[in-house]
Amino acid sequence: MPSIRVPTALRSFTGGASDVEVAASTVRDALAELDRRHPGIAAKLLDNGAVKPFIRIFVGPDDIGGLSGLETKLADRDEVAIVPAIAGGGDA
Amino acid sequence: MTLRAAIVGAGGLGGPIALSLGAAGIELAIADHDVVELSNLHRQIQFTADDIGRPKAARLADVVASRGGTAHGVAARWTEASADEIAGDADVVIDASDDPLTKFAVADWAVRSARCYVIAAALRYGGNVMIGAPGAACYRCLFEEPAEAPSCADAGVLGPVVGAIGGAAAAFALALAHGDRANAGAILVFDDLRRSGDPRIVRFAPRADCPACARAPASPLAAPRRVAETS
Repeated sequence: MPSIRVPTALRSFTGGASDVEVAASTVRDALAELDRRHPGIAAKLLDNGAVKPFIRIFVGPDDIGGLSGLETKLADRDEVAIVPAIAGGGDA
Repeated sequence: MTLRAAIVGAGGLGGPIALSLGAAGIELAIADHDVVELSNLHRQIQFTADDIGRPKAARLADVVASRGGTAHGVAARWTEASADEIAGDADVVIDASDDPLTKFAVADWAVRSARCYVIAAALRYGGNVMIGAPGAACYRCLFEEPAEAPSCADAGVLGPVVGAIGGAAAAFALALAHGDRANAGAILVFDDLRRSGDPRIVRFAPRADCPACARAPASPLAAPRRVAETS
């Protein structure tokens, strides 16, 4: 089953879980399943059905922007990684 | 040959970056508009209680100098007007700020000026280090525009995390300053340093419609001041 690597900034939605397995065949389905189980998380990632500009989603090492976007197919052991831009510099 | 670096931000990330690069013999310009506060001390370990109320940039430059390094502080934010004063002669620019707009501004300036750069960020238990160089995919290729990026003010950061992320940023800045661009166009994602210190290294391609890359010099080999001589 594919899994989603949840960034630390969004783990408040997943009860602290870093990895969530999802039964899904595309990235879009995977995010929908993630949101069904952890309501509200998709709103942090998507805007009108598209990935927000400061979020990048990778399947394995590949940015889905260079694949088929949210329609990118997932295989059984694929890992989906969500990488947000973060701004923290320790108050600099 | 003296190599020079500009560090934008003298806080939790800027401290370890400046101390490591200064000790490595890199001449530093350190920019920060802020002053040291009591609440900074647990994660900005370059400062002491005696520094409270003093300008961060000048104080960090003093600490670097006290250890044999060469540094000067600039009490200013990074802006279009101050960028050349802060980084005009730098071989590599490191963003250690706490502000998404500044991170994009530093990266855009570096791309436009054909400089190598590192964008560092830490939050809660992890962080990101993006490595950039002329001709490689840039920060704006990856994260298209600043918006809603969570900061330490929103989510906090564990004190030791900024030391680890700052150390990684300094290591890559040092490599860039010496002409090693092997990791340009990649971002290192340190997910949770309580669990693992190994980053996920994600390489990404230039984005065809990136407005920052469109303003880069036609020949990426033309401008890097002295890095080109050593690479």
